[in-house]
Amino acid sequence: MTPDAAPTTRDMPVVEVDNVVTRFGPQVVHDGVSFRIGRGTLTALIGGSGTGKSVLLREIIGLQRPTAGNIRVFGTDMWNAAEAQTAAVRRRFGMMFQDGALFSALTVAQNIRVPLLEHANIPGDLLHPLIELRLAQAGLTPDTGNKLPSQLSGGMRKRAAIARALALEPEILFLDEPTSGLDPATARSLDALVRSLVDDLGISVLVVTHDLDTLLTVVDRIIVLADGHVLADGPAAEVTAIDHPWIRSYFAIRTMTGTQSR
Amino acid sequence: MQDSTQPWCEIDASASPATLTLHGHWRLANTEAIWRELRVLRLQLPLCINADNLQDFDSTGALMLLRALDQAGISSDDVQWRALDAQHRRILSGVQRRLPATRNPLDTQDRSGILGLFARVGENAAALGTLLLGHLNFLGATLAAAAHLIVQPRQLRGKELTVQFEQVCVSALPVVALVTLLIGITIAYLLGLQAEKYGANIFVVDGVGIGMTREFAPIIVATIVAGRSGAAFTAQLGAMRLTEEIDAIRTLGLAPMQVLVLPRVLALVVALPLLVFVGDVMGILGAMLIADPLLGLTPSTVIDRLHGSLDITHFWAGLVKAPVFALFIAVIGCRMGILVQRDTRAVGLATTSTVVQSIVSVILLDAAFAVVFQELGI
Repeated sequence: MTPDAAPTTRDMPVVEVDNVVTRFGPQVVHDGVSFRIGRGTLTALIGGSGTGKSVLLREIIGLQRPTAGNIRVFGTDMWNAAEAQTAAVRRRFGMMFQDGALFSALTVAQNIRVPLLEHANIPGDLLHPLIELRLAQAGLTPDTGNKLPSQLSGGMRKRAAIARALALEPEILFLDEPTSGLDPATARSLDALVRSLVDDLGISVLVVTHDLDTLLTVVDRIIVLADGHVLADGPAAEVTAIDHPWIRSYFAIRTMTGTQSR
Repeated sequence: MQDSTQPWCEIDASASPATLTLHGHWRLANTEAIWRELRVLRLQLPLCINADNLQDFDSTGALMLLRALDQAGISSDDVQWRALDAQHRRILSGVQRRLPATRNPLDTQDRSGILGLFARVGENAAALGTLLLGHLNFLGATLAAAAHLIVQPRQLRGKELTVQFEQVCVSALPVVALVTLLIGITIAYLLGLQAEKYGANIFVVDGVGIGMTREFAPIIVATIVAGRSGAAFTAQLGAMRLTEEIDAIRTLGLAPMQVLVLPRVLALVVALPLLVFVGDVMGILGAMLIADPLLGLTPSTVIDRLHGSLDITHFWAGLVKAPVFALFIAVIGCRMGILVQRDTRAVGLATTSTVVQSIVSVILLDAAFAVVFQELGI
């Protein structure tokens, strides 16, 4: 029997960020950031421009080394564990980059096939149905699979990127600004898609976003980064109630009109 | 984890109804092993599926199960489910809900056969025809814009023109000089080996003089410039297409033709004759360098002989071709850049195409010039 990537126990956190410090020369981006993300939750990471949201995401998925502190994903230290271990962790998460980062020379279906061929042993007659399932899970029709990324609209490109990120049945999905540059209707349907991934497949999602509608409707928990620290951490209702100038101005429009509710 | 002897799924046909029991981790990592067992099972209604031992279940597992049922002609609604926990049920129904949409399969269009070959040849021929017609159109537009400049010379972008001139001419001097010098040496050497046998050493000067000025310098310099500046034009304009800069130029009420294309075309049309002249001089200099040790012709002898034998028409015949070559190289380079689609591969493809098209067009133009000069008796 093939060794299964042993599912970690239910109560174990998926991502642990522990006292992370990031400096670029004299500029301090993170000055001791800590939080944990558990299973089956949809968490949002927010903060003003330059507070290092995307940097933190890149540090979590192992693309950029933090100056100090520890980052563990599925209990594996992403920056001190052996390469084989971090490679095993990489197969257990999916990442959607802001502009999709789809391979432009390949069709959408071929994009999804890349991780499947590389890391999973899929019987030939199951490969196509599986790719079609991934497309469907991201809300795309099968004929989209034959298109090149350059032939897709912005919203479809994001969905295609999610389909590729879902290829290996990740236990956590990282999304960098999934609704940026989309019209509100498309953005809301993408929100619904992300929520259904959490509810139907039971995976965790960490999303970096600026979209207030996303934050106030589908997200379970919001982590606010400011001045290099975690300024607030909790459900939307709690976070919006915090009396802090940045948070107040960020949520000002919605709290004034009072549309914040599930 | 289950041990290696336990099956992933087993069917108990004697039970009533027949019971399919699932074991272990039905996850993507185990797809191959599970599918090998599952696909050979003979499933039929009435059927009960016992998920009591199912420890883990993901959407790939659900897909396999639903597909096996589907292939046996069984709807999952007719199946009795036993001990399927809520999370697994959600995954199963999530996959099931999405399956009907996947009825029309992925298009696996086959372009490999002999028919596919014809189709590809036809497509490429049609694409080439469109491309060349487009080039012709663009050449016309460029010339019209240049003519417009004569009426309104103030529209000339002097600064952009000088920047481009520096890039295509001044920066190209070292490589042009070096290559033509080496070519001059090579031709003189090869001619010298033959001429020496007949004691006709002095005719090497005639050969190098005519050959270099009339053919070699224009062709070689044009090829270098096509690879250097033509490719650069495509890459620059292509990158500007990707970042929507060309659209921004249009939106600001400027004409890309005036701002981007004309300065490049004019710069190259002026630069190429100058570079060809440098090539002429360096080629003859190269010949002079090797003539002394190889053939015993001193530099002053070579120059005397050049004065006597090299008709100035040869020099002009070579030089007059250069602006025409330059026009084609620049027009192809600019148009290929403007054609770039918003796709990261496109710049690379367009640049390659520019170099190939420019060099082919230079050779074709040169052949045309040879025929015309012949007819005119030049």
